[in-house]
Amino acid sequence: MSTEEHPIQIPNSTARPLELTDDFSPGETNFIKVDNFKFFYGKKEALHGINLEIPSRRVISFIGPSGCGKSTLLRNFNRMNELIPGVRHEGDITIHGTSIFDPSVEVIALRRRIGMVFQKSNPFPMSIYENIVYPLRIAGQGDRSVHDETVERCLCSAALWDEVKDRLHDSALGLSGGQMQRLCIARAIASSPEILLMDEPCSALDPIATAKVEELIIELKKDFTIVIVTHNMQQASRVSELTAFFYLGNLVEFDETRKIFTNPSKLQTEEYITGRFG
Amino acid sequence: MHTEPSRPHTLSDFTTALDKLRGSVLTMASLTKKNLQNAIQGLFERDDDFCNHSIADDEEIDLLEIQIDREGIEVMSRFQPVAKDLREVISSIKIGANIERVADQAVNIARRARKLNEHPELPELHLLDPVIKLSLEMFEDAIRSFAERNASLAVELKARDKSLDRLNKEVTDELINRMQDDSTNLPAYLNMIFISRCLERIGDHSANIAEDVVFAVRAEDIRHLGK
Repeated sequence: MSTEEHPIQIPNSTARPLELTDDFSPGETNFIKVDNFKFFYGKKEALHGINLEIPSRRVISFIGPSGCGKSTLLRNFNRMNELIPGVRHEGDITIHGTSIFDPSVEVIALRRRIGMVFQKSNPFPMSIYENIVYPLRIAGQGDRSVHDETVERCLCSAALWDEVKDRLHDSALGLSGGQMQRLCIARAIASSPEILLMDEPCSALDPIATAKVEELIIELKKDFTIVIVTHNMQQASRVSELTAFFYLGNLVEFDETRKIFTNPSKLQTEEYITGRFG
Repeated sequence: MHTEPSRPHTLSDFTTALDKLRGSVLTMASLTKKNLQNAIQGLFERDDDFCNHSIADDEEIDLLEIQIDREGIEVMSRFQPVAKDLREVISSIKIGANIERVADQAVNIARRARKLNEHPELPELHLLDPVIKLSLEMFEDAIRSFAERNASLAVELKARDKSLDRLNKEVTDELINRMQDDSTNLPAYLNMIFISRCLERIGDHSANIAEDVVFAVRAEDIRHLGK
């Protein structure tokens, strides 16, 4: 794949949105394929030739000490890293066989297909209702009935409907931290993405709010492929079926979560998950 | 499965708690070995005092089993260990339970020995010698495999358990023959059969301990293989 820098692409009418939904089958083993992927911040190589195949409709945890490259890889899946000046990559990432770096891929459309939830909840300073319909509005969907249906469906999926159905037009900023994060998840799935990227989604939440989000993650995997970056080993073992351990920009081990947390193959993995370094 | 040694835990409290748990298991094993030796000594020296010591000291071992469970649960709840640390905690708790059962067998032997001591000594008592030797060796080696994290030694114990089963059967068959020839000493022969059975059970518990050591060290479950 290209070794040149990728500036942010401005959507244009000729660019082809990445089609992910048409013919991919549930359980596809290499839904997301990372192929000898290197990533550079200026001259610093942050990822050293990562190879990884992520199946569809599973929860995959990325774990590793700070600076290991897990968030860098996650942010490449929706090309968010391209917002940083001076970055470049080598190798390729494909989703359902299509390179996300293909010049024909429209980056905004790509991000509509790949929802993202961040460490700190970031509801827009508008009503709960408007937070959910915002992605629809920018996609040109103005039908009120579609808005209503999407708000209810997404809030139900995010296990938030019962808590907010009577105050949909109140400010989202009045919600609790846990509710705000679930609202952000609801907003992330409003555009019907195939993939949900979560970058430490529970690190600012209390244990009950964390449990609700984790329950939600497990529920959402029926419809989405979820990649979650977490520093919480217990969270990784609770919610994910597959776990990838990164260290110093390398993928050290990728296996079933059950195997990683009971009998990892690599000493570095064992030392990290048992708290001997990191 | 990697075999390289790993570095100490970042949290020294965790290392201390794991070491304490391990120490409790080894203390319990040491006391149990002493109780077994007392029971055997009471049997061959026809000395009820040794038997009484073995029976009385079992209470301390019971308390240690409870302590090991408590320490294991505390390590799990405080530190949420995973991988080899989790296996070590689980294995320690299970090994504690098996050691407690070995100690119970020591009590059973001591009680049977006191009954035998009420009557004149019978030469058939020495039929038990090879069973005693092998069962004690097995228990010692099971504990050594835990102390040294020696999975190879633990695997080898499984084979020795079959030898012990065979020895127990030979001794039992021989004693049944004697019972048919000499019905006046029937209760004594029966007590010897029970003691042989206790020793065979000690071999079973030692094999169980060995299985837990293999699980802790190699993450392999070798239970119920070949059955």
